[in-house]
Amino acid sequence: MKNLLGSPRRVAAIARNTFIEASRNRAFIGLGIAAMGLVASSMAISGLAIADQMARVLVDFGLFSIAILEVVIAVTMGVILVYKEIDRKTFYVILTKPIRRSEVLAGKFFGLAAVLAIALALMSVAWIGSLALRGVPIPHDIAQALVLTWLQAVLVTSVALFFSSFASPILSGVFTLGIYLAGTTLYVLEDLLTARKGVLVTNDAARAVARTALTILPDLSVFNLGKELILGIPIGWDYVAASGVYCLGWCLLFWGLAALIFERRDFA
Amino acid sequence: MEDMIAVEGLRKVFHTPFRRRRVEAVKGVTFTVGRGEIFGFLGPNGAGKTTTLKMLVGLIRPTSGRARILGGEPGAIDIMARVGFLPEQPYFYDYLKPTELLDTFGRIFGIPAAERRRRIDKLLDLVGLGDAKNRILRKFSKGMLQRVGIAQALLNDPELILLDEPMSGLDPVGRKEVIDLIASLKDQGKTVFFSSHILADIERLCDRVVILHKGEVRHAGTLEALLAQGDRKEILVAGTLEDGWAARTGVVAVDRIGGRVTRLLVEAGAADGVLRALLEARLEILQVSDRRISLEELFVQTAGSGPVGAKEVAG
Repeated sequence: MKNLLGSPRRVAAIARNTFIEASRNRAFIGLGIAAMGLVASSMAISGLAIADQMARVLVDFGLFSIAILEVVIAVTMGVILVYKEIDRKTFYVILTKPIRRSEVLAGKFFGLAAVLAIALALMSVAWIGSLALRGVPIPHDIAQALVLTWLQAVLVTSVALFFSSFASPILSGVFTLGIYLAGTTLYVLEDLLTARKGVLVTNDAARAVARTALTILPDLSVFNLGKELILGIPIGWDYVAASGVYCLGWCLLFWGLAALIFERRDFA
Repeated sequence: MEDMIAVEGLRKVFHTPFRRRRVEAVKGVTFTVGRGEIFGFLGPNGAGKTTTLKMLVGLIRPTSGRARILGGEPGAIDIMARVGFLPEQPYFYDYLKPTELLDTFGRIFGIPAAERRRRIDKLLDLVGLGDAKNRILRKFSKGMLQRVGIAQALLNDPELILLDEPMSGLDPVGRKEVIDLIASLKDQGKTVFFSSHILADIERLCDRVVILHKGEVRHAGTLEALLAQGDRKEILVAGTLEDGWAARTGVVAVDRIGGRVTRLLVEAGAADGVLRALLEARLEILQVSDRRISLEELFVQTAGSGPVGAKEVAG
């Protein structure tokens, strides 16, 4: 691990710094307020649902809201933090210390992963509290579903850091959201490829494009198990562990690419 | 003398997006800095000082040429552990306190916790921020940020300290404190390389200087030798001189004082020839005196001149 990521001590120093800076940032506090607002709105929406559907709506909308807010935090923080360091030239001081640029990126990533974990914990407490207030039984595998939500946001963070290592914040944000949207709907392509008819069956070029997309994009649907949670289908920890390995693989790939670009970059 | 910095034929060319235009910011710069020296890097805005400094700390890669610091590659981990760097107009994390910022840097350097705390307190007191150490950096003035920048550059007790415009943003008292600090670093055996366009600071502190202009070294050497290079004689002559005198070799300037006296400013080496010519022309010489060029005059002369080759002045 030391050879792969560099010095754990130096990575930890940057991660700690990133976590403190991000958690005190007003944008993060604003996102926290938005999270609370969403939880409150899920309660209001559940009031509109038919009585026997209320539990389902509260669980479904709550998990969905948390997942979306985690992704919003991942994209904004991932894009803004690196851009700000370059724009305000704080990198001049960091990168002239005895530290590799790849270690700085790894530290940023771990710091943001910690921020996402704290944000998830806070939102989860509010969500579970709202379920309890309504007398809705807490779904059995809620912890697994929440960990998967966090893994998805962590993967999106690595995508945001990758794009922000060379693109402007707006482009980085657009590219990252594009990958997120494509990644969450990739399973549709998979279904179409195995269907008996349709354009992906009859058109070779379209099939090649679809297969390429399936290969080069992360499949984020593996982290979205809201349906399983509602239907009471067990989510095993072995599945969570396998998803964690999948997430780690993609994060290493995006971090490696970002590090390659970052190493060659001039900070003029 | 052991070279702490050795720069040879260093060039940097920047390309605008899509390579439509190229700007050669540094054009084959060569100089060395010895151990224990205070070395001044002078030049007007846009001379290429900051670009050269960034190449010395590994923020920018040279297009060609070579830069070595402490005998190694700029940016290498083992080298940067022995270097302190203050960028121009430093900026730090808004929501951190100076103690937290320096603690992060101390962790990167691998300084043990107790030693880290001791050094942070000592350095913040040294730069006059002892009372502001628990305030977030967002609330710091430009001068206070500059002081934090100086503190972080000294945190690892570096052998070589590179400072880009260290007096920038400081009030006169702050400037005096930084000048004293740099002088004390020399007493501790440190090597200090700093860029500035404040000539009084350079004159007060530096053993040797390089004057950079439009990416080229115009003068390099000891300050004394540089200024001696500009030594001149002032000759006062009774009456008016013909126009041809102004164009004579070694005559820098000719002007009138009142209606009856002409003043000639002559390069020291050409003074004998000019005096002989004045005597041959039967002109009355009233006074001959020495006039040493100031660093400011040398700087202005350099900044105003066209492209010339670098002048290395022994000393």
